[in-house]
Amino acid sequence: MKKLTDLDYVEQYASKMKSDNSLFRQQSRLIESQMRSSSSMFRNMFRGTDFKTGARDYLRKIGLLKD
Amino acid sequence: MRKAYLVEEDTIVMNRDMTDLDRFVKDFLEVLKKHSGYLIVSGFVSISSGRARGTEDVDILVPVMDRGRFDKLFKNLNESGFWCYQGETTEEVYDYFKDMSSIRFARVDEVFPNMEVIPIDATRKAKFFEFNHPQKMRVQDFEFNVPPIEFEILYKELVLKGKKDIEDARHLRVIFSELTDDAKFKEYEPIIRQELR
Repeated sequence: MKKLTDLDYVEQYASKMKSDNSLFRQQSRLIESQMRSSSSMFRNMFRGTDFKTGARDYLRKIGLLKD
Repeated sequence: MRKAYLVEEDTIVMNRDMTDLDRFVKDFLEVLKKHSGYLIVSGFVSISSGRARGTEDVDILVPVMDRGRFDKLFKNLNESGFWCYQGETTEEVYDYFKDMSSIRFARVDEVFPNMEVIPIDATRKAKFFEFNHPQKMRVQDFEFNVPPIEFEILYKELVLKGKKDIEDARHLRVIFSELTDDAKFKEYEPIIRQELR
């Protein structure tokens, strides 16, 4: 039996979702969980320091901010 | 059980509740729209229409503007609870924008998600074209502009081409299969291919 690829899963999910909007609830949980984790991680990471200074140092390190 | 979307006049209406990501984008657009036109492109288009993945940035095309208008926008964003990665003042940030480099804004005390503001002008032909041919999309009372769906699909398949982009494009092809038009794919392809030259 052919192994399903990531693209096959994307296609199956979209096909199902097209006629069943209840799948949006799962998607919403995924998005909001990522946002909460990110928020909590950065608040902890920069606790006790100036948030923007800490954030800009971090963003330089990961290449999202250039000098 | 309802369909994922319906079309009302010229607007694609998604049958879903708003997420925190939608609220973030909506709040940003409420400020931006007072100062400029815009077009949301790339990942957020797929995610809005149900693609099950997270994102750290929301890409938005904004025409280059003069320093005076930019200053008003920048101050208004700061007053509305957004901070800019590139700097605290118009003096620090405007040169990036004027030189066609992206600038990013997040909510105060947050790093992600961020709005990646991508400056465009008529020299960026493909981007300028999509900017001038917006498709309206709506989630509850949040209405926003995205590219024509065929354009977004082809841009991801022909220009961006990463794994995530190909998956996003496939999602859009399937979910909007009843809306897309072969003639539009043919019309848009040469415009997008200019970006590859």
